[in-house]
Amino acid sequence: MGWLTKEFETAPCEVEVSHCFDSLHAHVKFLNGAVINPGDEVQVQGPPVMAPYGEVVREERIARITRASRLEQLWTRMTGDFEFMELCEFSFSEEVSV
Amino acid sequence: MKDVHDAPVVHSADATNVEDALEAGNYRQAVIDSESATAVAMRNTLLTPRFYTTDFDKLDAIDVSPVRKDWDKLIAQMKSDPNRGHFKKNEDWDHIDWDGMEPKLKAEFIDFLISSCTAEFSGCVLYKEMKRRGNNEDITTLFQLMARDEARHAGFINDALREAGIAVNLGFLTQAKKYTYFQPKFIYYATYLSEKIGYARYITIFRHLEAHPEHRFHPIFKWFKEWCNDEFSHGEAFALLMKTDPKLTSGINRYWIKFFLTAVYATMYVRDHQRPAFHEALGVDTDWYGQEVFRKTSEISKQVFPLTLDIDHPRWMPGLKALQRANADLAEAVEKKQFFRGLGARVRAAAAFIGLFTIPAVPNDPPVSTRLEPAY
Repeated sequence: MGWLTKEFETAPCEVEVSHCFDSLHAHVKFLNGAVINPGDEVQVQGPPVMAPYGEVVREERIARITRASRLEQLWTRMTGDFEFMELCEFSFSEEVSV
Repeated sequence: MKDVHDAPVVHSADATNVEDALEAGNYRQAVIDSESATAVAMRNTLLTPRFYTTDFDKLDAIDVSPVRKDWDKLIAQMKSDPNRGHFKKNEDWDHIDWDGMEPKLKAEFIDFLISSCTAEFSGCVLYKEMKRRGNNEDITTLFQLMARDEARHAGFINDALREAGIAVNLGFLTQAKKYTYFQPKFIYYATYLSEKIGYARYITIFRHLEAHPEHRFHPIFKWFKEWCNDEFSHGEAFALLMKTDPKLTSGINRYWIKFFLTAVYATMYVRDHQRPAFHEALGVDTDWYGQEVFRKTSEISKQVFPLTLDIDHPRWMPGLKALQRANADLAEAVEKKQFFRGLGARVRAAAAFIGLFTIPAVPNDPPVSTRLEPAY
């Protein structure tokens, strides 16, 4: 891993999207044990995985992992904590203003 | 994969409904960078939660032995899933005349539902990730149960949104998502607080509407009580986790706790003031509501935090108001592209926040046994 250079890799993954009354969720599981580190970027390849209402969709896909540079990883470790507010229901959105 | 539409719309302007519009090429393209993704999420309800990593070795190293008895009891209660049957629509779910709703109220209420849905969804993503990558069975069990509850809440809100003609789009996985980082201790502080303040917010509205049913303009509020009991027990679990290591609530971490409390309270105050029509329809004075929620949250948080904020301090309310004004100015300056006015507003907001943060805290000596039951 370089200080400034990014590296790419691909990993098979299982995507599960549930669009049900009982559960609204979407998860990615890597099938080759790939481990994601702070600052890494993950993009599931292919068209959006869309579950119609009332259905759970499970698909195997390929994910492209962009490994963060060492500097970026350090930065994410230092600053990521401040994004905690997103967990609150009253977190900020761009849309509303007084 | 199933797509309901045979021929995808190229531009959202050509779409006849929200789902088509979200599927349109211009939206898919529009959400590449995270800044615009947030903006688009709020307008078009494409959920774009963050993804998290943490120090999983540290998380695995937690030993719940010191609180084993309380822990097992809480987990057993969560496993028994007392609220399983609660999130169903029954005859209490009255018909809503969405078209007849006053437009400003409708916009603010939908914004409220979307941000609630996003928060539940983000919690679900965070907890699921912790569950998946952790190896400590106590911890992974807890995170799995919490992910279940959050996904259920998100599904329930989603259903209310669908009634309003708004489709939540879960297609975000195929966009590049950067994984951010939370230190385990910040996960405890932030999630503990977000769960407990969530409880205080929901129960305050629920009790208020119990006394003033004429203000209940949507049936979802009737479900708030059981809903917030889930939030309450999630918070209990984090309180127990923090009890396992006294270092988490002493020394320098006291300042982190104070920071988290101040940031969460201040954000809530500012954000609630952005929804005047919503609070008016509920018949709630926003300042009263804020203080009431802070008071409940502070009282609950005495179970584990070594301090509470002095929300009756003479500088508290003026500080919140200054922060709120600065924030409203900033939003307007950004909209009108007034750089220096925006800069000034940022400085004022920062000064107001520092002013709030430096109000001396009220020291607290948490009890030996942490467990609480919902009492409001």
